[in-house]
Amino acid sequence: MKRTIVLLLVGVLCGCGRQEAAHSGTKPITIGVSLLNLSNEFIVMLNESMAAKAKDLGVELIVNDAQGSAERQVQQVESFIAQHVDAIILNPCDVEASSPAVDKALAAGIPLVNMNSETKAAPSAFVGSRDEEAARLALEYIAKCLNGHGNVLLMNGVMGQAAQIKREAGARAVLGKFPELKVLAEQTAEWDRAKAMSLMENWIQSHGATINAVFAQNDEMAMGALLALERAKLKDKVLVVGVDAIADALQALRDGRLDATVFQDARLQGATAVETAVKLSRQQPAEKQVYIPFRLVTKDSAKNY
Amino acid sequence: MSGAPILQVRNLCKAFPGVQALTDVRLDVAAGSVHALMGENGAGKSTLMKILCGLHTADAGEIRFKGQPIRASSPHEALRRGIAMIHQELLPFPNLSVAANIGMGREPTRWFPGWIDQAALARDATRVLARLACPLAPQRRMKDLSVAEMQTVEIAKALAYEPGLLIMDEPTSALSEREVEALFSVIRELQQRGVAIIYISHKMDEIFRIADTITVLRDGRHIATRPASELNEPQLISLMVGRDLAPTPAARDSRGDPALEVHRLTQPGKFRDVSFTLHRGEILGLAGLMGAGRTDLVNAIYGLAPASSGAIRVHGKDVKITNPAAAIAAGIGLVSEDRKQFGLVLPMSVQHNLTLSSLRGRWIDQRRERALADAQIRAFALKVTGRHQAVVHLSGGNQQKVVLAKALLTEPDILILDEPTRGIDIGAKAEIYALINRLAGAGKAVLLVSSELPELLLLSDRLLVMREGTVTAELDSHQTSQEQILIFAMPA
Amino acid sequence: MRASSIKSWGLAIALVAISLALSFAKPTFLTVPNLLNVMRQISINGILAVGVTYVLLTGGVDLSLGSLVALSGVVAATLAHPNQHALAVPVLVGVLTGTLCGAVNGLVVTHGKVAPFIATLGMMTVARGLALVVSGGRPVSNLGAEFTRLGGDVAGLPIPLMVLAGIALLAFVVLRNLRLGRYVYAIGGNEAAARASGIDVAAVKLFAYSACGATAGVAGVVLAARVTTGQPNAGVGYELDAIAAVVIGGTSLSGGVGGIGGTILGALLIGVINNGLDLLNVTSYYQAIVKGIIIVGAVWLDRQQNKS
Repeated sequence: MKRTIVLLLVGVLCGCGRQEAAHSGTKPITIGVSLLNLSNEFIVMLNESMAAKAKDLGVELIVNDAQGSAERQVQQVESFIAQHVDAIILNPCDVEASSPAVDKALAAGIPLVNMNSETKAAPSAFVGSRDEEAARLALEYIAKCLNGHGNVLLMNGVMGQAAQIKREAGARAVLGKFPELKVLAEQTAEWDRAKAMSLMENWIQSHGATINAVFAQNDEMAMGALLALERAKLKDKVLVVGVDAIADALQALRDGRLDATVFQDARLQGATAVETAVKLSRQQPAEKQVYIPFRLVTKDSAKNY
Repeated sequence: MSGAPILQVRNLCKAFPGVQALTDVRLDVAAGSVHALMGENGAGKSTLMKILCGLHTADAGEIRFKGQPIRASSPHEALRRGIAMIHQELLPFPNLSVAANIGMGREPTRWFPGWIDQAALARDATRVLARLACPLAPQRRMKDLSVAEMQTVEIAKALAYEPGLLIMDEPTSALSEREVEALFSVIRELQQRGVAIIYISHKMDEIFRIADTITVLRDGRHIATRPASELNEPQLISLMVGRDLAPTPAARDSRGDPALEVHRLTQPGKFRDVSFTLHRGEILGLAGLMGAGRTDLVNAIYGLAPASSGAIRVHGKDVKITNPAAAIAAGIGLVSEDRKQFGLVLPMSVQHNLTLSSLRGRWIDQRRERALADAQIRAFALKVTGRHQAVVHLSGGNQQKVVLAKALLTEPDILILDEPTRGIDIGAKAEIYALINRLAGAGKAVLLVSSELPELLLLSDRLLVMREGTVTAELDSHQTSQEQILIFAMPA
Repeated sequence: MRASSIKSWGLAIALVAISLALSFAKPTFLTVPNLLNVMRQISINGILAVGVTYVLLTGGVDLSLGSLVALSGVVAATLAHPNQHALAVPVLVGVLTGTLCGAVNGLVVTHGKVAPFIATLGMMTVARGLALVVSGGRPVSNLGAEFTRLGGDVAGLPIPLMVLAGIALLAFVVLRNLRLGRYVYAIGGNEAAARASGIDVAAVKLFAYSACGATAGVAGVVLAARVTTGQPNAGVGYELDAIAAVVIGGTSLSGGVGGIGGTILGALLIGVINNGLDLLNVTSYYQAIVKGIIIVGAVWLDRQQNKS
């Protein structure tokens, strides 16, 4: 928490300084942004917070949507390089496949900030969160509620994506500490609400009343599981926890339907990424790795979001 | 001329669902001979040929080629052994060149495997085309050729394999006189080189000109094998049909009011200034060579490709025919020369094809439809396993009858028949002749397009002759001759 | 060799065999709640598959289905907030959205002479973009209970299943008993002959694409009700699942042959496999492999049967 506030302060100060520079007529800074997928709510939030921060700082953003394709992402970065942007913010599609984009930008002498998730190639700076931590918070909450023993279902994102791998690793780490927490089944629902709903319906058929908790790697899937449980009239007996704190999930928390989610701070991530990129383009010192902490949101704390 | 049998077929049997296509069929073909295979449609000729060239597998029986037992499982295997077939239905690759079509499957290569030697391909094509006295340029696209030219290319393709046995299924159905002569001289040349030829045709005069031996099939069984010199035409027909054909009814002499009047119909590049009148109860013949514009003209009248200028009057009223629906509404029916393209929906059942043009109202009255279909099946003596049989499985003659029956179900006053007997056997032909006469007798106006002059002379009351898109003569069928028609039909 | 009988006995046998095997491996499979479950889960794909059967029968294809599902769902959802409109408004406007997009597909194909693959590919991206514009890139949530009830059960039966049953029956009757249905087959079997038979080919095709768009609209509304949000990124890849169900069911990709019965069997086969693999807790990676093998195997068996 404290670090967040410090970062915010730094950001505000830096922003003010920059605004003066912009008004005093130096060449405005241009930042190229390549986003993972603008049809994802979380990415839309990132985009909005970046736009707001850029406006504050008086810098120009060129925002491209890679629509989930790492190949398209690399092309977008190539065209940023050709346009001689001052810095690039990359919201990587893939750990491996988006790496060439990082290498190319750095080779062209343009600073590049990875936002939200990582690439294999090392960027100038990283702004994001530790996905393991989100899963750790969620599973610890489940363990606490179940007093360390019970049956858990794990709902995964698209297999092989960085977020899925890390959230699964985080969940497994907690499960290792609670031998009485048993995994009944683990399956992918590909981040999708409709697929999660079908999967949960099938799980209800095979595991029925033995289910104590569901951990879904994102809120979309958590909402799907929640709907299926509610329709089967089993929700009272099963804990459902998701990740991301999307608007729908927060509303469900406030209504007392969902049990918990993990808040990933899109606003702070987006704003910090823009600040870092601005600093790097001016060859000012910037932190190499900025981790925005996750926060567990429960029914009680939901009203604050 | 003839020698030891190069092909021996014994006790061949083949059944399809609902049909025993072949029963204990035998056939001996001598090297260097032309062996005509005769029979009505549905007699089993096509099935036998398809087994020989590897498209079907026999259920039982033995085939020996050059003394070796064979059980060809694919056309490729049959070709490798030296059995080539020229199909009645052309199977060209329309977007490839003539040379590529001829060389298909055995392209010469150079430099490394799979690299086509285009020059050699064109050279081979030119050589084999020259043997057919055909001056086609090997680089022309297939789709730009006329049907006759395509047929020639198919023949060239088969010859290019240097086969020991060449099967020709109706090879002359789309050829002009000159091209037929060229084909016959090729056949004679092949004979001298010891190639055996199985020749299938419905054209009697061709059979007696070219065949050494004739085998007759009927209902999937072997009926007779005789030297051609020991048979005459009536004997052959009665062997094929299994009965003597009733003579064709005599022409009528009544002529009613004008049913269809065509005035200065023009389609640039196809036909121009065509005018004629067709009366109720009349059969008007339309003669001409291939490419004279006859099919384009009737397609324009039916609205398949409307003319750019001119007028059409039906029963004295001007009608505007811009599509087939308008033509049907005006009481015009067409039996197209190309039944597979315009006449039939092949995967559909006989019943559904029959009623396709005559369904009315939003709902289909299933019971009435069944009754109509059954009535037409009976009236046309269709050989089908039932009204649900898909038309794709019918023989050519039966398919043609379905097209006719379908056109008649729309109850047209004016019936346009474009080559109604192309590719069908003598028995079915006789039935169709009788039918056309009956229709005219019942007051329908019939416009008959045919390339067979005897047919036109036999059936029609009057004759129009077309040449290069214009009508060059109107003749009285009873006072003219084939020679006179040809004078008006041949380009000057 | 009948032209229009049920061609899918082999498929039905495969379906029964797989179901029996599953019920031995996992007794819960063959229980009423689970079978209802399967039905609920095939509803969306089934509805889409019935619609696209029409287009495939004419010899065309529709790749825009998944995007149309998203667009209609989002449009319906924006009108379905609590106490906003009567239930009929979001439902009808959602279905109409799909129908209109389908009609545009049809017009581009018939009057623009654009190949169906291209025309509907264009619609696929346009409709996806429209869905994102309408929703602002975010799921449209907070929907009225009246609307979301459409995704639930009534009297123990899933409403989506009843919608599927209604649409399938309607589609079946139209294909079998209406002149229009007969013309759909004729055009797919031989377009030139259909025209020569006096059929207004363009009008029939326009109908097929519009009907297909309408079913996508229905599917979009039902999906939005089921997951209680209109999601702009819903339905990605649904067109391929739907086309797969149709083709598994024996409808020819080149048109003219097939029907609704086979399509439903195809959708059922896919649904049973998905459900069974989840029940058996087969790992995600292996699910994909097993699913592919079973589908190809079942169709192979079916076609072997048809040949003999």
